[in-house]
Amino acid sequence: MARKLKYIFFISIGVSILVGLFIPHEHVHFWWEKIPAFDAIFGFLGCIVIVLGAKALGHHGIQKDEDYYD
Amino acid sequence: MIDIVPPAFIFILGAILLPLLRERRLRQIFQLLIPLIAFIDLLYMPKGTYWVYNFLGYDLILGRVDKLSMCFGYVFAIVAFVGMVYALHVREVGQHTAAFLYIGSALGVVFAGDIFTLYVFWEIMAVSSVFLIWYQRDKAALDAGFRYIMVHIFGGCALLAGIIIHVSNTGSTQFGFIEYGGLASQLILLGFIINAAVPPFHAWLSDAYPEATVTGSVFLTAFTTKSAVYVLLRTFPGVEILVWLGAIMAVYGVAYAVLENDIRRLLAYHIISQVGYMVAGVGLGTEMSMNGSTAHAFCHILYKALLFMGAGAVIYVTGRRKLTELQGRNLYKKMPITLSLYMIGGFSISAVPLFNGFISKTMIIASSAELHRPIIYLLLHLASIGTFLHTGLKLPYGIWFGRVPEGETIEEEEIEAKEPPLNMLIAMGMAAFLCILTGVYPKILYNILPYSVHFHPYTLNHVVAMMQLLLLTGAAFWLYIDKLGGEPKISVDTDWFYRKPGVLLLWFVSNPMQDLRLRLQSFFTKMVANVASLSKNPILLPEITVRYFHLKIINRLYQASDIYNDKLDELKELESRLAAVKEMRYDESVYRRPVGLGVLIAIILLFLYGLIYFIRLR
Repeated sequence: MARKLKYIFFISIGVSILVGLFIPHEHVHFWWEKIPAFDAIFGFLGCIVIVLGAKALGHHGIQKDEDYYD
Repeated sequence: MIDIVPPAFIFILGAILLPLLRERRLRQIFQLLIPLIAFIDLLYMPKGTYWVYNFLGYDLILGRVDKLSMCFGYVFAIVAFVGMVYALHVREVGQHTAAFLYIGSALGVVFAGDIFTLYVFWEIMAVSSVFLIWYQRDKAALDAGFRYIMVHIFGGCALLAGIIIHVSNTGSTQFGFIEYGGLASQLILLGFIINAAVPPFHAWLSDAYPEATVTGSVFLTAFTTKSAVYVLLRTFPGVEILVWLGAIMAVYGVAYAVLENDIRRLLAYHIISQVGYMVAGVGLGTEMSMNGSTAHAFCHILYKALLFMGAGAVIYVTGRRKLTELQGRNLYKKMPITLSLYMIGGFSISAVPLFNGFISKTMIIASSAELHRPIIYLLLHLASIGTFLHTGLKLPYGIWFGRVPEGETIEEEEIEAKEPPLNMLIAMGMAAFLCILTGVYPKILYNILPYSVHFHPYTLNHVVAMMQLLLLTGAAFWLYIDKLGGEPKISVDTDWFYRKPGVLLLWFVSNPMQDLRLRLQSFFTKMVANVASLSKNPILLPEITVRYFHLKIINRLYQASDIYNDKLDELKELESRLAAVKEMRYDESVYRRPVGLGVLIAIILLFLYGLIYFIRLR
């Protein structure tokens, strides 16, 4: 079951990127929209940036023990 | 045929009548009937301005009905019904009364046509909503409720000050577009963005909402922030600062959600993030972006209520509210329906195609692209990633599946859990149905938006781009899956600035200030006592003064010249005489002066007065 899900997941990533390469962009507003599979790259890197960035901020000051305000 | 009435009054009347119903079944029917009547009432309300009442020379307008106010009115009535179904099992009548008052005042804000009416409903909204927090009845809820109401009173004061300056400057009480610039508009904007939870004035939301009752928090998510978005749409469209505040807010909420362990607090940070899109849409100020903000408010109310209902159901059946207490217990086996319904909300907020977030959020992002705002576009896009990461992946994984972090053992594998009561599931089902309905068939929503819509969400481009974004977010989540579990920590937010210094302030008031008060009080008490004793006999005042200074002076002189000890008796004698003089009471037979003396003094004074007057006249 889990294995099947994994395959479906990878296949849908592949399909979405492939389809993205072959459809024409109607309105191009920014230069990066011409980069192939930009949204996929942005999604992957953006997610990593959010996780690592927030965790770094959290471990350097923002996070306190649960009884901090008591 | 009964005439239509302001929908706010239906709910407020409902709040008054509800406690009078003793029979529980009857009360439950009544709870559901009120939102239904209000919704039908909305359907019969014609466009225009009516229900105008003159008060002290100002027109109070309770019905300003156009497409914008109707759109918010509809969704408020819908979520009121859904929330009431969810809360049907709650026996405490007070909670429902508070909810009705809260919903009624929010509808009052939406249909208010002048700023005084707006202000009155605005304040009722703050006061009634705090009871949904306090009914949780534990210390954390009481404290958070107090902080909540203090922030809202501050915001209300800023709004009132702004309104007063605005009215005295322009003479107009009309609630509509306000030119941004100048103190009045800044104060009004401050009042509005405090309710919209714009950083740095957002901490009340993530502080208080997770402490509210399970059913109360569903109502809280819907009305306060969204009525703030509504008033921003009315008064400040196209204000540049809102674009930046909104975009930063969208990312800010997401970043804090990474660190959050409390499940409803995580969702509360996502309210801040999602309202950020709407605020940015207001700031962009084009027809498309304002349509987007309105549509996103509509969709957000539905899916956020659904998400809070899902998380609330878990809290209701397990009594646990933290990821660290839930992960690894495989709850999905015990509450699969709740999980599925929650996931519909999760997909909706993440803007997965065919769910309603997709048709509204993309509208705002697309209008930022049309205006060529690259940074805003990227910030909003980034926030979309974070939204899916948390509400769509991390939170459901942590609650229903999850792994216990390595090296830790949990004391009990199994926890008591089952599906929540039927009414809760039905409420979630209704919200989920509406999320999918508006997602699949966006025309229903687009038709009631304030401006005509020329936006097509379901182009191949949009769908593929969104799928790439979400799928690869999923891939990155999978990489960091073990890092993303809850940590038993809390995050310090801007509420630090009133929570920590608040303790200092209390210390300052109860120690140094209290000390100062006591000193001042005793000083003035002594003064009064002295004056009182001297006033026993005012005629002796010269003698007392002479004797007093005489005593003081010779006391000093003796001390200076080494014969002090020899003269002690003499000093004692003088002291006792002074005391005796002080004790003497006024006795009119002792001080009988001739009447002529008084007359003479009066004539002399009169003469001096005449003289000065005469000289001045010259």
